[in-house]
Amino acid sequence: MSIEVRGISKSFGPTRVLKEIDLRIETGELVALLGPSGSGKTTLLRIIAGMEHADPGGGSVLFDGQDITAQGIGDRRIGFVFQHYALFKNMSVFENIAFGLRSKPWRSRPDAAQIKSKVDALLDLIQLGSLAQRYPSQLSGGQRQRVALARALAVEPRVLLLDEPFGALDATVRRELRRWLRRLHETIHVTTIFVTHDQEEALEVSDRVAVMRAGQIEQFGSPQEVYENPASPFVFQFLGHYNVFSARGQVADAPLSAGGGEGALTLVRPHDVVVSRNGNDRDAIPARVLHVGLVGPLVRVELERLDRKESIDAELTSEASKELALKPGDSVFVTSRHEHSFEDYSI
Amino acid sequence: MVAAAKRRVIPGFGLTLGYTLVTLSCFVLLPLGALAVRTAQLSWPEFWATITDPVVVAAYRLTFGASAVAALCNAVLGLMTAWVLVRYRFPGRRLLDALIDFPFALPTAVAGLTFSNLYLKDGWIGGFGDRLAGLVNSAGASLGYPALIPSDSLGWLDFAYTNTPTGIVLVLIFVGLPFVVRSVQPVLQEWDAEYELAAESLGAGPFTTFRRVIFPEIFPAWLSGSSLAFARAVGEYGSVIFIAGNIPGKSQIAPLLIVQKLDDFQYAQATAIGMVLLLASLAILLVMNGIETWVRRRQTA
Amino acid sequence: MAGAPLLVSASASAPPVTRGHPVWRRLLIAGTVVFLTIFIVLPVVNVFTQALSKGVAAYTEVFTGPAADQPPRNLAEKRKLSTRRAQSEKTASAIAMSVGVAAVVVPLNILFGLMAAWAVTKFRFRGRLLLIALIDLPFSVSPVVAGLIFVLLLGRTGLFGAWATNFVWPDPTSIAWRGFGGGWPIGFDRFNSGIIFTPLAIVLASVFVTFPFVARSVIPLMQAQGTDEEVAALSLGASGWRTFRFVTLPNIRWALLYGTILCTARAFGEFGAVSVVSGNTDANDTMPLRIEKLWNEYDNQAAFTVASLLALLAMVTLVLKTLIDWRAARSARRDTGATLQAGPPS
Repeated sequence: MSIEVRGISKSFGPTRVLKEIDLRIETGELVALLGPSGSGKTTLLRIIAGMEHADPGGGSVLFDGQDITAQGIGDRRIGFVFQHYALFKNMSVFENIAFGLRSKPWRSRPDAAQIKSKVDALLDLIQLGSLAQRYPSQLSGGQRQRVALARALAVEPRVLLLDEPFGALDATVRRELRRWLRRLHETIHVTTIFVTHDQEEALEVSDRVAVMRAGQIEQFGSPQEVYENPASPFVFQFLGHYNVFSARGQVADAPLSAGGGEGALTLVRPHDVVVSRNGNDRDAIPARVLHVGLVGPLVRVELERLDRKESIDAELTSEASKELALKPGDSVFVTSRHEHSFEDYSI
Repeated sequence: MVAAAKRRVIPGFGLTLGYTLVTLSCFVLLPLGALAVRTAQLSWPEFWATITDPVVVAAYRLTFGASAVAALCNAVLGLMTAWVLVRYRFPGRRLLDALIDFPFALPTAVAGLTFSNLYLKDGWIGGFGDRLAGLVNSAGASLGYPALIPSDSLGWLDFAYTNTPTGIVLVLIFVGLPFVVRSVQPVLQEWDAEYELAAESLGAGPFTTFRRVIFPEIFPAWLSGSSLAFARAVGEYGSVIFIAGNIPGKSQIAPLLIVQKLDDFQYAQATAIGMVLLLASLAILLVMNGIETWVRRRQTA
Repeated sequence: MAGAPLLVSASASAPPVTRGHPVWRRLLIAGTVVFLTIFIVLPVVNVFTQALSKGVAAYTEVFTGPAADQPPRNLAEKRKLSTRRAQSEKTASAIAMSVGVAAVVVPLNILFGLMAAWAVTKFRFRGRLLLIALIDLPFSVSPVVAGLIFVLLLGRTGLFGAWATNFVWPDPTSIAWRGFGGGWPIGFDRFNSGIIFTPLAIVLASVFVTFPFVARSVIPLMQAQGTDEEVAALSLGASGWRTFRFVTLPNIRWALLYGTILCTARAFGEFGAVSVVSGNTDANDTMPLRIEKLWNEYDNQAAFTVASLLALLAMVTLVLKTLIDWRAARSARRDTGATLQAGPPS
């Protein structure tokens, strides 16, 4: 099932949350909608689900080329997983998962035995077979999340939509569940969109990422594409740590918005910062080491440039660091291995 | 409008809102509208003459006076009750807590009946002193001292308030009892004892702590509870007529006057008196809401 | 003393502070106990004592009629017996009237409460807050005024007086089976006309005074629960009715029951409004009206007997309310508090 969004806008009162969104998602893809809070990603998801209606005037949502803008939420055959799961409190895990099947019109409703076998199969899929008779309140967050997924999958949805699926979980469960979702998607292969504000999550799990900002899609591409060729300073900034190198090769840690001035903006990831003992390069910036810290296999070096007393973060491999034998107070020179320049750098 | 209704995600908007509006209009708004229309049909001198009639003025004075005294008593006693129920643990506390709602559940006619009986000259409380004297004397007689005290010597302990304004106040205290307790209780329950400890650690005595730290916190709830008790008392009818005595100009409350005017088919006068009563209770609630909002705003500012 | 208590971390759910001067504490507890004894316990105990003051037989006689174990010996005795019988018949009919009125009013109130709560909590629309305030309005109207407005609307000289006095409605107690011979299979043998001073007016006035009960107890809960569960059910293909029946209703059942029993208590107990519209006819008496009449006839024991039935109902209401509070608190704990416990299967 491919999903296409054409010219969708949405306002709540005077605030425009979505501005003329166009998006095409191919059959079987796993797509992340990534953006900071207020970027409109959840609203877009809810519009695709039919829980929110776009502003009247031309915008449409298409499933497999068929316009479903006017369809109600119950007719779209979508599976939706809420941020806080919205499990039915008064029903057991089994009843929660069976609810959609039992809600079908009687002509297409499976009989009790079929429902039982289908729910059992889903319980196996989410590895919670032993908890079928428990109530949602007796489950952990991760277990609830999986029950919510199974409940959505029971009706064999054409698309699966997840709103901040891991938002309410702690870090370890989150990482585990995210791999599980990836594997699940590989087995059932249903077109899936999930909303997240966590770039690591988006890059790790999805086939393609749509980075959203202020009601618009800044960039839509594979995780690699988005990370390596960010379309805007915003995307670059949102996807990880960064240093600001100006057009003249100067370094500043001032926030981008304060970067002002004319010309291109140059941004450098900490792992692309090269630190050397001698300033052979004409553009090399003299700096002083403030702090050296070990982070796993990497060494994080905090530097202060001598001319402007501003700091630069650098990540070195442990070999490189050993070779340099940096300690606080050392004078060094900084260049970049790889940098991104943007003409327009309004953030 | 149709398009807008169609675009709602959850179904049933038209049905439920339509039913709600129709029912509300038929059973509440239309009848209240009749009162407004009938009032508007009265001429101003007619209206004024009715509500300034000495009998009517006396009834209003009694209604509002007794209600105010009852609300004041409830404000004090209700605050005490809420405090004791929340802060102290003692046997029977849960039972007392459950009993607080009794005045909500007990029909007012029953309350009026039993109160008027209790405060009769030969009732349990109305004849309390006489009964006590009898008890003392019979106890004395069994010990060999007959007629220990004159049988009427404890007459000052006879609280025979039936057919007096005090009786009206007593039954109105009963009717309004739950309002203050149930408004203040949740606020006290949510109250974090750390503030109090902090105040005391700064050297404030328990009384100062209550006045300066706790009371401002519960004030809005306390005020709204007291006003609700007052508003309820102003409109109360069933319980009061049993105990009031209902002597025109002396112990007749305003709602009773309405009933009598209706019995005499004097609809215009009943309308005028009823309108004043309705406006008064709405005004009480409005003023209360106003004060509450004002206090809240001042606290958050 | 200074500083030390600050180290004690007391949270909102910590046990109450029972420090302070013990004399004050005892005084306050004693004051509360005395206050509640005088104002609640004594009045209630008095109801039952007075009702049973002439024994159990006299108690039941009030509504079942005198037992005819031996025939009356003379005319005076016969007359007395028939008066007593007539009195008890009136009392019994008042009880039937109260039950009948409640049987109509309570379901109407439940239906309205659920409809209004759904409209007000599941949707956002202009005038929503005004609507909520209007639903609460009858609570701030004096019962006598509530009766008055119906007289002004439907009484003989009322706004719709002409229409109302000619209004014909079937007597629900005269329902009869007609068979399929033609026309409706079920019909009524008796018809009443007019509204004011008939049982219909009692129903109307009772609907007015009980109007907010169910809506008011259900709305805050439905507001707090939001719409996620309903939307989830709809996204799974459930119909609106199925969503309400299996998702919303179970979540609000305790609040609904709570509102229902309060509404029932009030429907049985309403005095002022009903007294105004009933027209002082014995046939229209409800239990509270019957109490007043018996009291006016100086039949204290009979008045208290009817009162004791209502007091019993109030006690049942209170017990149910306490149970519901307890259940609701427990299920609230179950729904929210257990989030922290990550329960792996044993």
